[in-house]
Amino acid sequence: MITGTENESDKQTIFVEGFWYNNAIFAQLLGMCPLLGVTTSAENGFWMGLATLLVLLGSNLIVSLVRDYIPSTVRIPAYIVIIASLVTVVDLVMNAWMHEMYLILGLFIPLIVVNCAILGRAEAFASKNNVSDSLMDALGMGLGFTFALLLLGSVREILGQGQLFGFEIFGANYPDVLMFILPPGAFIALGFILAGVNLVNIRLKRKKEAMFLQKEAVASHS
Amino acid sequence: MITFDKNQRKTALSLFVVALLAAALLAFVDQITREPIANAQREALHKNLVQVLPKHKNDPLKEMFEFPLSKQQTVEIFPAKDKHGNVLAYAWEQIAPDGYSGTIRILMGVRISGEVVAIRITDHRETPGLGDGITHNMTWLNHFINQSLDKTKWAVKKDGGDFDQFTGATITPRAVVKAVAKGLVFYQENKNTLLEKSKSQVLLEK
Repeated sequence: MITGTENESDKQTIFVEGFWYNNAIFAQLLGMCPLLGVTTSAENGFWMGLATLLVLLGSNLIVSLVRDYIPSTVRIPAYIVIIASLVTVVDLVMNAWMHEMYLILGLFIPLIVVNCAILGRAEAFASKNNVSDSLMDALGMGLGFTFALLLLGSVREILGQGQLFGFEIFGANYPDVLMFILPPGAFIALGFILAGVNLVNIRLKRKKEAMFLQKEAVASHS
Repeated sequence: MITFDKNQRKTALSLFVVALLAAALLAFVDQITREPIANAQREALHKNLVQVLPKHKNDPLKEMFEFPLSKQQTVEIFPAKDKHGNVLAYAWEQIAPDGYSGTIRILMGVRISGEVVAIRITDHRETPGLGDGITHNMTWLNHFINQSLDKTKWAVKKDGGDFDQFTGATITPRAVVKAVAKGLVFYQENKNTLLEKSKSQVLLEK
């Protein structure tokens, strides 16, 4: 077990990278297929995100464990077999012990296989890093993906049906805005969310620069 | 003759081992989830049956019998009986082949008089947030209660019928309405055979 302040801050960096700066949806724009399909409501988005998080944790863990034993020429088919197996496990387990949720998400679970964010993490991170770093990456990426799905699902549910998690927000007379339930509404809502994310990132960068300049000024002064 | 060098053999072997382990894992998980999945499905069916049948004293799941639709096809019929063993209603799964994306399975309960007790959707692939309202829009589902062939216009309002369509989704409700009407026709045509079958079953049990 590796401990120490430097490693802890490394873990933190990996998590923040995965959750925010390198977010699968906001930064990499990966996994659009489940994103557009399931985010018609906040609840669906949340559960799809959690299912993806589970698969991602499993695939990053296994890929990181076997990375030294798999020849690089066949690593992609090997990763795909690993990911597809994990998705099938999640599919069976949800069908067995979370049947009601399975009836809603059943159609989308197999889509996790083709979510390139997962293969992307296996290839870009887990195949080059140790187990604990890979798990941290999966946690950050998976929670970031869940957050994005939940956010988009909430926006679409509020605008499309005047509800959030099934509770009426604007009263029963709210005229359903069909477009936000359909895929075009997902694209439009996503566009505005991306603009918002960029705005936050610009603010963060300015703040960082200001702090950096301040530090330099202090340093040169002494 | 093709020969393989050491590297190629290692490559093939590692892919083989990965596939073998994956297959073993899947076989194991399939094994342990098979029974819970069957239970969950039976439970879901039971939950729906209770909702589409009137109050009964028997176990419709246990007394299920198969009824031939054609030479190859049968449909599972669930009878609801009172304490004397008289049939009150039948429930079965009616399939609407023309949903917006594939087939919709509808569990419908029909009183012997030919009126719908209630319907529930058991399986579908309709658009979430649009057509999937058929599963949870109770106002719409309850519209089917007590409807029958002779007093109801079996079409959506857009087509001049009695049933609401949804905003942005007409095809889905239309398919369900059509299938339920077809189910009622099936019942009318086979009512006597069905009742006969239940009677002989009662006699057998006695």
